[in-house]
Amino acid sequence: MYRNDTVVPYFALVFSAALFLTAYLNDRFRVVHEAGAVPHLTVGNIGLMAFALVLFVYGFIGLLSNWLEGSELRPGRHEPEPSSLPMVAGVVLSLLLVMLSGFFVRTLIFANNPEIGYYNATTLQAGVFGAMMFILALLIAIYKKFFIEEEVLAEDEKGDFPW
Amino acid sequence: MYRWLDDRLSIGKLYAKAFRKAFPVHHSFFLGEITLFSFITLVLTGIFLTLNYEPSIRPVSGPLSGGQEVPAAYYSILYIDSLPFGAVIRSLHHWAAHIMIAAAFLHMLRIHLTGAYKNPRELNWIVGVFLLVLAILTAFTGYALPFDNYALTATKIGYEIGAAAPWVGKLLSDILFAGELSPTNTQTIPRLYSIHVLWLPLTLIALISLHLVIMIKQKHTQPRYAEKVAPGKIVGVPLFPQQAAMMGILFLVYIGATTFIAGAFLAHPVEAFGPPTANTPAVKPDWYFLWIYGILQIIPANWRFEFLGATFGPQFWGGILVPTLIILGALAIPFLDYSKEKQRYLELPSRHPFRTSFVIGVLMFYIMSTLAGYKVDLGLSNELLWVLVLVVPVVTGVVSYILIKAIYGKEWNQEVQVELRGKGPATD
Ligand code: HEM
Repeated sequence: MYRNDTVVPYFALVFSAALFLTAYLNDRFRVVHEAGAVPHLTVGNIGLMAFALVLFVYGFIGLLSNWLEGSELRPGRHEPEPSSLPMVAGVVLSLLLVMLSGFFVRTLIFANNPEIGYYNATTLQAGVFGAMMFILALLIAIYKKFFIEEEVLAEDEKGDFPW
Repeated sequence: MYRWLDDRLSIGKLYAKAFRKAFPVHHSFFLGEITLFSFITLVLTGIFLTLNYEPSIRPVSGPLSGGQEVPAAYYSILYIDSLPFGAVIRSLHHWAAHIMIAAAFLHMLRIHLTGAYKNPRELNWIVGVFLLVLAILTAFTGYALPFDNYALTATKIGYEIGAAAPWVGKLLSDILFAGELSPTNTQTIPRLYSIHVLWLPLTLIALISLHLVIMIKQKHTQPRYAEKVAPGKIVGVPLFPQQAAMMGILFLVYIGATTFIAGAFLAHPVEAFGPPTANTPAVKPDWYFLWIYGILQIIPANWRFEFLGATFGPQFWGGILVPTLIILGALAIPFLDYSKEKQRYLELPSRHPFRTSFVIGVLMFYIMSTLAGYKVDLGLSNELLWVLVLVVPVVTGVVSYILIKAIYGKEWNQEVQVELRGKGPATD
């Protein structure tokens, strides 16, 4: 708590996994109501998974923030250290992104087909879309880590912004 | 182009003032941002939903319902689910609502545990409490819109609680639901629709803006090492480009993770229960209402009396009195734990054992009352549940207080001296 540590984010990730597992192992995970054949999540499991998701995103960005911004800031300008490895990673990830976006469009065209009754392969669509978002996030992270000049400000406490 | 804009709008000045505002760095600050991004996701996915949803219960039929006559609102949900990626976007809207409430709750816990509500941030704490209540109310008004048997029955539990408020309950629920909530009231869905997509989101936007402006004006609390690095100053990264990059990354990670879950586990598939029928399925309200539902389960039905024409029954005690007391208690926190000194730095939860164990006790209360919501499913007796709801939170709080004090010995109530660990010299 005194600095941008990794203890709480790690704990959040472990706790998130535990909550997901609790929901998943619950024998009422996907209930099939008698009236229809479509399974649905119970309210309890939605609650467990909602907290698990928040903790996952929090833990992930917490660790990333420690990697990108460090645990303590020091005022001044800090030059990045670009090297060829992040460059290669950036190119590979960008190519992967282009490939996935093509694949994503394919899933949409597939879903827009009256012959198969407008069937949405939701897990596949969301998986590809989710992967694209993660890759974009990684690209920005790499760019920030290796190519942006970092600046740390020591602002006056009585700054007059916005008034 | 830049020169042209700068001449007219002085954007250079805007950059110097706004874009170079310093943002302190700490992982716990991301919880507020996750709440904010959930709201933004809700607005974006909500716009898509409004383009395809029909707020009416007039009977319609078509290929999507297999020729069967169903309410138009229900049919339009089947239509949204059939659009390419439509089912995922609708599910994402539903999941983002749950996540916003969970994130706002965890954000509130972090504010409480680190003492960030103290002078001068009392006002923002109060705005925050209203934001949480409003977020829950917005989610509640959206629940019935698909107009399936499940949503209607679950909303009815809330409707009955609202109507149980003495004297004004009936009036308030009439305003919210345009009369009685029933499968045949044609006015309810248009009313809920207007409130859910227009009035509550507009109020949320206004309050969130106020929350953020107050936060920027008052400056954020900082991790304590900053006191050694530059005393009396805000040590942080400029909004542009660094903070903006972190926010962009967080938004993408958030959207990536929630979309994946939303697609893999479709929330609220309307076909599971079908359109409203005469028989009501056994359903529970959403998890954030489950604790209230649990309290209602254990209050005996004969706790009831009449006063000046109003009935004070179990639904009043459990559904209105207890939540109102909790909200009032939350609003009072910054004034009960008042500090004359301005709060500049995050406090260590372990060095504030009373506050921390109080929070643990309150969490236990929510968990136990949620458990009471499963009274019938788990076959738990009323006596046992009363003990779990009232005694276990107190015992947990007391035990954690004793434990924290024992672990930290004499220094239990002092903030620890910070040793700088990061690279580079400290400046004055
Ligand atoms: C429901 C919607 C809410 C949104 C969108 C929201 C958003 C934010 C954001 C982005 C921040 C800055 C980052 C951070 O410290 O996490 C913040 C700070 C703050 N929030 Fe919220 N918040 C919400 C609810 C609440 C609640 C429920 C409370 C408490 C009852 C609260 C109290 C505060 C306080 C006191 C601060 C200043 C923290 C500091 O300076 O350390 N907020 N909020």
